[in-house]
Amino acid sequence: MELTDQYNFSIFRPRNKHGRKNRNVILTMLAIWALAVFGFQLLLRVTEKPTPEPALAEFDKTWPLFLSGSSNNDEKALLLKSLILVAGKTIVKPDDLRTLKGAVTAVTFSMMPDSVTEGIKRMTSEAAEMRAQLASLRGEQYILLSNRVKDIYSNISGILEDYTGIRKGSLESVILAHSLTAETPVPDNISFNNLPGIMKLYLTHNRSELTDTVFLGFPFHYFYTAVFLLVLFVGLCIAYNILIEWRLKKEGITE
Amino acid sequence: MKKIFLSIILFTVAVSAINAESLTQLEGSFKTGPAIILIGTLLTFVLVGVFFKAKDPADYYAAGRKISRVGSGMAIASNWMSAASVLGMAGMMYGFGYNGLAYVVGWTGGYVLLLILMAAQIRRYGKYTAPDFIGDRYYSRDLRIVSAIFTILISFAYCVGQFGGIGLMFKWILGLNYTWAVIIGSSVVLMYTLISGMIGATKNMQIQYVIIVTSFLLPVFLMAFKFDYFWLVPQLGYGAVVTDIVQGIPAPNIVSDVPLVNAYGHDFAIVPSPEFAMPWDPSTGTTFFQWVAICFSLMVGTAGLPHVIQRFYVVPKVSDARWSVVWGLFFICLVYWTAPAYAAFGKILSANPEVGTLAKDAIVVYTAQLGNINSLVVGLLAAGAVSAAFSTVSGLLVAGASAFSHDLYVRVINPSSTPKSQLTVARIGTIIMALAVTIVALLKLGLIAQLVSVAFSMAACTIFPLFLLGIWWSGSNRAGAKAGLFTGILITTISITYFIVGLSGGKLPGQEFISYWLNIWYFAWIGAPLAIIVNIIVSLFTAPTPPEIKKFLAEQVHN
Repeated sequence: MELTDQYNFSIFRPRNKHGRKNRNVILTMLAIWALAVFGFQLLLRVTEKPTPEPALAEFDKTWPLFLSGSSNNDEKALLLKSLILVAGKTIVKPDDLRTLKGAVTAVTFSMMPDSVTEGIKRMTSEAAEMRAQLASLRGEQYILLSNRVKDIYSNISGILEDYTGIRKGSLESVILAHSLTAETPVPDNISFNNLPGIMKLYLTHNRSELTDTVFLGFPFHYFYTAVFLLVLFVGLCIAYNILIEWRLKKEGITE
Repeated sequence: MKKIFLSIILFTVAVSAINAESLTQLEGSFKTGPAIILIGTLLTFVLVGVFFKAKDPADYYAAGRKISRVGSGMAIASNWMSAASVLGMAGMMYGFGYNGLAYVVGWTGGYVLLLILMAAQIRRYGKYTAPDFIGDRYYSRDLRIVSAIFTILISFAYCVGQFGGIGLMFKWILGLNYTWAVIIGSSVVLMYTLISGMIGATKNMQIQYVIIVTSFLLPVFLMAFKFDYFWLVPQLGYGAVVTDIVQGIPAPNIVSDVPLVNAYGHDFAIVPSPEFAMPWDPSTGTTFFQWVAICFSLMVGTAGLPHVIQRFYVVPKVSDARWSVVWGLFFICLVYWTAPAYAAFGKILSANPEVGTLAKDAIVVYTAQLGNINSLVVGLLAAGAVSAAFSTVSGLLVAGASAFSHDLYVRVINPSSTPKSQLTVARIGTIIMALAVTIVALLKLGLIAQLVSVAFSMAACTIFPLFLLGIWWSGSNRAGAKAGLFTGILITTISITYFIVGLSGGKLPGQEFISYWLNIWYFAWIGAPLAIIVNIIVSLFTAPTPPEIKKFLAEQVHN
């Protein structure tokens, strides 16, 4: 054999028995690694179904009634709850949040007399002005002003409870109070054309057996990806080292 | 030495305790206790750097090959865990839910590739730096120069991302503006990197790791206990937090007659938020393809980062190189198992609209604050984040300086240079690189947060294919390496160009297509395989690898 050919090798064509066994270990590890990581994500993808939250069905039922002006207070309350559930999500984009707040405001103010609405608007404006000042304050001044803002919103929540049925002290009441704007949007405002799409976007999720099964408190898919895979990686590395060193010892190879 | 450290620690704790104050505001105002902890921590790093000063180039570049496998593992973990890992990862999960886990998996899974494909082989090859290996393996001065340049660029891109995190933490702790925060941070890290090189950096990294892991884990234990979750192993206990986020927690939240509230008195409550945990949720704007592409790019990039590969030169034996990867990965996983817990707790603690919109990159610290954790512990957490950034930056500066002085200066510009002049050039290279990074970081171009991922994809497209084929195929030759490297550079350039044009409001042909399929965060999903394929094809049709290199690979590198 020529010298140029004598030392030809690749991971798929090793030169000797040691190389072949080493290759088998490496390819097996890589296969486990790839399957565990990407195979599972593919399985998630294949088994998932877009699943809406119950609030979406309530919104789809009550929003057209509200737009047509034929909804009663119970239906408005249901509609309001579904809007609040989305407005309260921290992931909502600013533009979408603006639309949501407008819708919340329109529905809320339609549930109360004008005199109450005017009072709420005043308090909302006052709170917004104070919040804008908070960024420049420190220490005691910050605490004092933020407590005043809190009190205003608490008062708003108290007033709204009588008309909306949303209990003061609940998270929904806080979200509602913070979602109100000083202007009352007209229910047929063109920006509300986006609202059904916005609600669908934030209330529809990819779910399957793998996401709905709970394991050690986790949604199973979350546990698998965030916990198990890391354990597997460490385990693969330990297994590889043990195998390689055992093999080197067995074959009498000194590194 | 131990007495000095003990004195510093005791002094720091005592003075911090005296000056501890409750954290009523999330944003940057001067916080005395945390500031003292940070200064004490930095002082410790500098003293370690002074006491473990490098004496010659071997000491500077490869720590004289004296570091144990566990010590090297801790250094790998500390070097690895940057501000992006400690701060940014939790931020990604906080903002994008399940999609953030692509980073957790990507930044750990790459170590499996590193171990089984590279660690021992790199050590056996016996070179000091990545460009050293590439230049020798492919018998090409040009490839050495280009890979040295890319090592510097990768280190540079990575460093700039870290300075953003340093600026954020200094701003939070000291109440400084971003500019001064970055200048002070860069001055300190430059100082001890200059003095100590790899030995000092490695010893420092071991200490930094202890600070990082302690500061990162402690608040999570406290929060799990405080909010009535399984606190013994909060890395498992937070699973119930995730499920609670999905299902929602109504207010008020009262357990054993004790209301569970955050630092502002808001209920520990949240509306049902399945988007936090469900895969590629439509509301996050990311897709299945992007999850896979990000994960793949980060994994392959991990195995191609020069400053990670360089870690394997610092251990005395080949088996130590293998086991240091295992230890390193384990130490890394201690933090990576915990990071999602911050995102989960942060999600609930910030659910009340009164909290406002929080900066994602600082969610780790905000979560601890909102969880009403003792201000000293929060301060330690911030100091730990700074430690993480410092340890990574010092490793990167060494890698970049090594590429400049060893691979460019010694091998190309002045082969007859003395060890003393080599060390001088290494230090000058470090200073220049640190200054350049500081200037770019101060510009706040808006690309800093993305530059870390760009560094990974760059490494995946350029360095990784050369190492992979250089180690595992004797047929990969100089021409193939050059062609593959050119392909990787081309893909990188296209992606970066389209990104910058898009960011500035412009539009090139196929802008949307490229922005999605060759996005700057994950272009390696196609760049790395293409570089490998081109390398193979060109190698098959050009002059073969010299027999002496094949012999060396077969007998030395592969036993």
